[in-house]
Amino acid sequence: MKKIRVLLADDHKLIRGGLRLLVEQQPDLIVIGEANDGREAVSQAKSLKPDVVVMDIGMPNLNGIEAALQITQTHPEISIVMLSMHSDESYVLRALKSGAKGYLLKDSAESDLIKAVHAVADGKSFFSPAVSKVLLDDYVRKLKRSGAEDTYDLLTPREREILQLVAEGKSNKDVANLLNLSVYTVETHRSNIMEKLNLRGIPELILFAVRKGIIS
Amino acid sequence: MPAVTKESSPPLSDSAPDPQFTQRARKLRGLLLVSFGCLLALLIGAGLDALRSLRELDGVEHDVASGFAARNQALSTIIVSVHLYDDQMRRYLLQDEPSGKNPTAEDIARKIAEVRSALHSFPAADDSAVQTLLERMRQQILDQENSFADVQTWEPQSRRKRAHDFIGDTLVPWRAQVLEISQQLSTANSKMLSEQNRLLAARFQSLEFRLGWLIVLALLAGVLISVVCGWYILRLERQGRLRYQALARSRVELEGLSARLVAVQEQERRSISRELHDEVGQSLGALLVEIGQLGKLVPGDDRVAQAQLTHIKSVAENAVKSVRDIALLLRPPMLDDLGLVPALEWQAREISRRSDMEVEVHSERVSEDLSDELKVCIYRLVQEALNNAASHSSAKNAKVTVAQRAGSIHVEITDNGSGFDPGHSRGMGILGMEERVRYLGGRLAIASAPGKGATVTAEIPVQPLPSPVESRS
Repeated sequence: MKKIRVLLADDHKLIRGGLRLLVEQQPDLIVIGEANDGREAVSQAKSLKPDVVVMDIGMPNLNGIEAALQITQTHPEISIVMLSMHSDESYVLRALKSGAKGYLLKDSAESDLIKAVHAVADGKSFFSPAVSKVLLDDYVRKLKRSGAEDTYDLLTPREREILQLVAEGKSNKDVANLLNLSVYTVETHRSNIMEKLNLRGIPELILFAVRKGIIS
Repeated sequence: MPAVTKESSPPLSDSAPDPQFTQRARKLRGLLLVSFGCLLALLIGAGLDALRSLRELDGVEHDVASGFAARNQALSTIIVSVHLYDDQMRRYLLQDEPSGKNPTAEDIARKIAEVRSALHSFPAADDSAVQTLLERMRQQILDQENSFADVQTWEPQSRRKRAHDFIGDTLVPWRAQVLEISQQLSTANSKMLSEQNRLLAARFQSLEFRLGWLIVLALLAGVLISVVCGWYILRLERQGRLRYQALARSRVELEGLSARLVAVQEQERRSISRELHDEVGQSLGALLVEIGQLGKLVPGDDRVAQAQLTHIKSVAENAVKSVRDIALLLRPPMLDDLGLVPALEWQAREISRRSDMEVEVHSERVSEDLSDELKVCIYRLVQEALNNAASHSSAKNAKVTVAQRAGSIHVEITDNGSGFDPGHSRGMGILGMEERVRYLGGRLAIASAPGKGATVTAEIPVQPLPSPVESRS
């Protein structure tokens, strides 16, 4: 069985050590490199071509978000799990925009890292449950205070289905095959969803899905 | 003098002027006051003196003219009375009026008395020539009286013959004599008049001279005082300018100082925050990972050890949380990690979570390449305004707008809380905001009124950053 090759990027040796320990306990995972800052992470990712990069957001020289952006721009096949202390929407959204597929809080790294690495290596998304909770809390509070209605309720069952599949990283074609629809119909549904939820771009759509607990 | 009393009790503020300087200034002021007083007195004195002298000269001139006229008048009376006497005397002597209308001795005596009284009425004059002439005249009249007394002793028989002789030898020469004296008196009178007029002119000239001197003196004094005043004013102006410059300089220094304070504070916060995050936070994070590892090593049925581990883990997690909160407060890493707008959005949500106020953030064309100073300034500005709104005004909603325009960035924080009077309550927070904004060359405005919410507006110039390509080359 082919092992999943992992690159660890964190500016703290202690953390990297802890992460390496976690990863190497798994028989199907192997750490192929460690990077001390963003620049090193980019150059190592480009030369080592790992399957998954586990990367801290707050790093000197080049932060994790910028590094992720540079990696996914040239190597979209590399999946990135972002490590962060912050469960705030701003971070999650920026991480998603930079192309990261997983978003892991450092608090829960110990319990969730392996799940996250497996999920993103499999082409899926992964978010720490605590992140979903914070996003949802913010969303609910805002709705309550502003008296607005939950835009999710505006979606039809079919649209919700498609929202989930798109948020999980499926292409229009995949969705069309899965649901036995034409690509054109899927596209129409997608643009309707974006309009109803007032979203701009896939990162916001994924964020919305995470918030609603549709994906994790 | 109330002004002086006020001066002498210096105000209680710390701006009490240098006592030595005040004393000198007061002395100089007194000197100027005295000088002005003297000048004024001089001018008034000169004016009064001139008026008095003119009035006096006017009186003298009048006296001279009226004296001349009176003497002339008296002289005419004398001449007329002499003629009358002469006429009567002739008729008395000759007794040639057949009708018996000839004058009597009493008539003659009366006539001569008239002449005497006419002479007597001649105004006294201190001119010696006139007095001599008058004396001579008096003598003539006395002679005539004696002659008349002599005439009265005449025998009626010889009277006619002697009368002719008397007229020819005594009366005619007497009359000529008297008229001659009158003539001389008249001349003397004229001379007196011209003499007095000359004196008058001389006095007038001396008055003119005196006035001229006074005017010159006053002019000189005025020029002197003006020069002193001008010098004093110039000195005051120079001192004022120097003080203003010193004030402006110290204000610039103060601004620089407070700006440096802000910068140093920000730097300190950042380094402490990084220190906390990097050292303490990461160690704790690693500790958590290790605890997790340990948990797998400890057998699941060892309940005591597992409970202990769980407790250790929760303590460590609490420590992580505390450190993170402190580090966030000191220096939000969002500014560095995400940029200004996401950091503001984070802050807005953070406040929304903590308080009852819902904060919205709107941004327009805000560039990612803002200077660190500017980002921190806007971040702290928004933080301060939102914290104020959340903790003091019980606002339900707040809106943050950040819009970048050509050359400047516009920040506006509006809340719908209870508001305040910006003219009265200006806490350290607002001062700090002003300080930060002014340091970057911007302007801060706070509009609020009780019950009307508050709007904090800042307009800060944006210096175009050197483009990355340029900075790398």
